[in-house]
Amino acid sequence: MAARPPFSSLRRWRSLPKLLTTALLALLSATVLLVLLPASGLSSSGMSAIPVAAADPVTVRVLMPAPLADAVAAPVAQFNASSPGVVLEVIRGPLDTETISDLATGSLLLGEAPFDLLLVDVSWLARYVAAGWFEPLERWFGPEVLAAMEPGARLGNGLDGHLWRMPLTGDTGLLYWRTDLMERPPRDTEELVAISRDLQRRGRVRWGYLWQGRQYEGLSCVMVEVLHGFGARWWNGSTARTELDSPEAVAAAQWLAALLQDGVSPQAVASYAENDALQSFAAGDAAFLRNWPYAWREIEKGGGPVKGKVGVTAMVGAPGEQGGGTLGTWGLSLIKGSPHPEEAVAAIRWLTGPVVQRQLAIEQGYAPTWSTLYDDPDLQRRAPLLTVQRQALQHPQLRPPTPAYAQLSDLLARQVNGMLTGQGGPGPTMAAAQRQSLQVLRSLAGPAGDTADGRPAVDR
Amino acid sequence: MKARTASLLLMAPALLLLAAVFLYPLLRYGWLSFQASSVLTGLEPVPNGGANWGRLLDDARFWTDAFQTLRFAVCSVALELVGGLGLALLLHRPLRGRGTLRALTLLPWALPTTVMALGWRWILNDPHGPLNAAIRSLGGSSYGFLSTPATTWFFVVLADVWKTLPFVALLLLAGLQTIPEDLEEALRLEGAGRLQILRRLTLPLLVPYLALALLFRLAQALGVFDLIQVLSGGGPAGSTESLALYAYLNAMRFLDFGYAATVMLATFLLLLVLLGGGWWLWRRGDLQGRREGAA
Repeated sequence: MAARPPFSSLRRWRSLPKLLTTALLALLSATVLLVLLPASGLSSSGMSAIPVAAADPVTVRVLMPAPLADAVAAPVAQFNASSPGVVLEVIRGPLDTETISDLATGSLLLGEAPFDLLLVDVSWLARYVAAGWFEPLERWFGPEVLAAMEPGARLGNGLDGHLWRMPLTGDTGLLYWRTDLMERPPRDTEELVAISRDLQRRGRVRWGYLWQGRQYEGLSCVMVEVLHGFGARWWNGSTARTELDSPEAVAAAQWLAALLQDGVSPQAVASYAENDALQSFAAGDAAFLRNWPYAWREIEKGGGPVKGKVGVTAMVGAPGEQGGGTLGTWGLSLIKGSPHPEEAVAAIRWLTGPVVQRQLAIEQGYAPTWSTLYDDPDLQRRAPLLTVQRQALQHPQLRPPTPAYAQLSDLLARQVNGMLTGQGGPGPTMAAAQRQSLQVLRSLAGPAGDTADGRPAVDR
Repeated sequence: MKARTASLLLMAPALLLLAAVFLYPLLRYGWLSFQASSVLTGLEPVPNGGANWGRLLDDARFWTDAFQTLRFAVCSVALELVGGLGLALLLHRPLRGRGTLRALTLLPWALPTTVMALGWRWILNDPHGPLNAAIRSLGGSSYGFLSTPATTWFFVVLADVWKTLPFVALLLLAGLQTIPEDLEEALRLEGAGRLQILRRLTLPLLVPYLALALLFRLAQALGVFDLIQVLSGGGPAGSTESLALYAYLNAMRFLDFGYAATVMLATFLLLLVLLGGGWWLWRRGDLQGRREGAA
């Protein structure tokens, strides 16, 4: 081995000075850019900081996923035209639900969020409330406000005796069925399987039932429905514990596993998210589909083989059990520390009001929350799912309203997906999910997770 | 004794600095890993009797991620070493415009990871990315490269290799330049072929440089975060998630700081065992080699 230290040989590299010069130039231009960019931003904001008039309009910022932000653009312009003292500004967030939550969490953790209002998915609420990021809304919205909404729309907004969110949409999981293959939709899970097998035997359709079995949040939504449909429950609000190893819960998991074993659902369901299942159903591959309300418009818009042959109904349960779709609603929450809460609440009032909800129902197929909208004959004509959506909002199912939901959902989806891909039977799968859930709760809550005095959910 | 005190005194600033940036966080993580510190405790630390560690042992996601991280590190570092050696040998040869070539090869390494990962994500976009455009122009149909676990994993490794190959090549090139040319000349005069020279002379003399590259790259690859966060977000369905990303998600997405610290510390311990084991094996092989050489 040569005695020279390893890097001295670099000196021999003749192009090094040239390279250094290039690097230096690049650094320099980057610095110039970095200095110039904020400076230009500063100059423009500096302009607006000059007191033009005594009553400067107050700016209220709301963060929303881009599709919803686009959908409310016209009502926002209307609001701005009719309320002179306030400027409502919509920040278009990323499309993906999880990504927008990460974005919001990031700025809320830092203390000063650059928005006053946040459009909140029902599954985030408990975590955000526990983190202390929201301002309670009951000062502005009394019990009579929620009483004017459909029962399901009232869920997932309150926690610990406070109102934290005003719902904007009332979406639930729905069961899609083929009107050309059967007279009426199934009444329970047994009928669903019986109809599927009959149609498959007669060669009328390749698959019976398509749903979301991929290892992700969507599978947890399916689990909420199936567990409830078999009389089990994922979360016990009064003990703040999971109950995933109950005989009913195992029976629910067993039903899902049997769908794949008996060929009612394809093995590929284990890798299906919403869109995969929808594509296959829209191509005419199956008799039934579990999906959200948006799927109906996609099918009708797409002009595939099943266009005009699709009916929608509320999610079914086992015989003798009340079925119920998973609640997947959005709503507006007020960020704690917002410098102008009154103006922000005015924006909430407008954005969650009937005018906006009506437009969202017509243009995007979102279910309204206000009961009066469901009675509107004109809207019934223009939003054909309205009757079914109202029916589904009578018995919707909430995902566990605990701050630990994200972790509990992740581990249940992991376990159940493992079962679907043949890594274990329903009994061991649900036992493992229960064991891991309790471990997560203990690890999250400290000694409180051991006892049964966790925070009870007010919603249920 | 006096010299010893002086040397300790001279080393003190460095040691203090190391303790501040390394030992303190480590101890802090160790302490935090025995606390519940989440939204359920109001983000305040509350002792939870080792529940985090019990959870870790039974956490399928952690072990899946550990396997995925290891698989990523082994595959990408192996490719980088082999490819880097080839590139270094190529750049070592007297060529016209060698300086420019060397500067050009360094470009991927000079690019910030986030920027280059975004670039790859755009290339792989379905259906608007250039790769899918190329496939379509050849008569195929668009493919969701980033929605299939196998292809996502492949491109994560490819992107890492593409970016860090120049670094490995640079290190090995420095090594190659320490090998005196007359040794090679002598071997060639004795009738040795190119492969023989590579195997008998170049590679043995390059071992310290290879080891250095291996150590650097392995430590970096096992802690991979930015590339995966930007390119695939750990998906689809968590199939490319790394341990560092999982630790980050526990803190930033789940607001579970106690468990995030546990995952972090466990990752560090795994890394220590792995690198320590590798070093021990190498030392043993080295000693054995010397003993054999002596015999």
